Amino acid sequence: MTGPFATAIIVVSLLLCCWAVVLVIANRAPGRALLSASAVLELLLVVFLVGGIVQMAGSDRDFARAEFVGYLLACAAVIPVAAWWVRDEKSRAAAGVLAVVFLVLPVLVIRVQQVWAGSVG
Amino acid sequence: MSSRSGLGPLADPQHPEAAAGAPRPTGRGFGRVLVTVYGIFALAATARSVVQIATKFDEAPIAYLLSALAAVIYIVATVALARGDRTSRRVATVAITIELVGVLGVGLLSLVIPHDFPSASVWSGFGSGYGFIPLVLPFVGLWWLRRTR
Repeated sequence: MTGPFATAIIVVSLLLCCWAVVLVIANRAPGRALLSASAVLELLLVVFLVGGIVQMAGSDRDFARAEFVGYLLACAAVIPVAAWWVRDEKSRAAAGVLAVVFLVLPVLVIRVQQVWAGSVG
Repeated sequence: MSSRSGLGPLADPQHPEAAAGAPRPTGRGFGRVLVTVYGIFALAATARSVVQIATKFDEAPIAYLLSALAAVIYIVATVALARGDRTSRRVATVAITIELVGVLGVGLLSLVIPHDFPSASVWSGFGSGYGFIPLVLPFVGLWWLRRTR
């Protein structure tokens, strides 16, 4: 589904992952810049969620719809949950958490695409 | 372990319990990252298990029950590591030990009798479907519990 948009999300997420890893290595907590970039990515993921549901509603193909929505919801949920979890962590561990999340997001997006394509059940 | 208090950025100077000899919280510093990974596996294992039990439980009931057990263990370990008080520390130790036995046991079973384990859980093939992270995770978890003791 929505190929180029999903690809853009994956690329942005991996870039932010690299950024977070650099902060871990530099022993620094995430600053305003990375948090703002994370918010932009979250915005893309909310659009991904809404767009995915709209596309699903307009399709009469047979695929695992519950799983599809589940993966879309997971995509949109991980950044807010991670942000809450590191809200008072002032060390580089906060950047470490973001690095993990930005690495997992592309996997979730690929799973969304796989379920949409019907290649897994 | 007090000699290890110079952990630098990963230690938590804001928690004076550490200096007083009480265990340090397991959810701070590196523990944040560890809890994040455990949380992701809790989510993944739970979702997978719910789908299996809801849609095809009869195909491999034992494998799917093990899958559900894995999900519960990850949830318990995540919450216990995040809370990190004395009781939680004990709960986490038990949960992660079961996790270790589970990933080794299910990993072995999935090799010996593969037809009963159609990639049924996060522990199948020693977690090969998840980059073998499920195999590494309990060792890291137990190490972290020792380290913060």
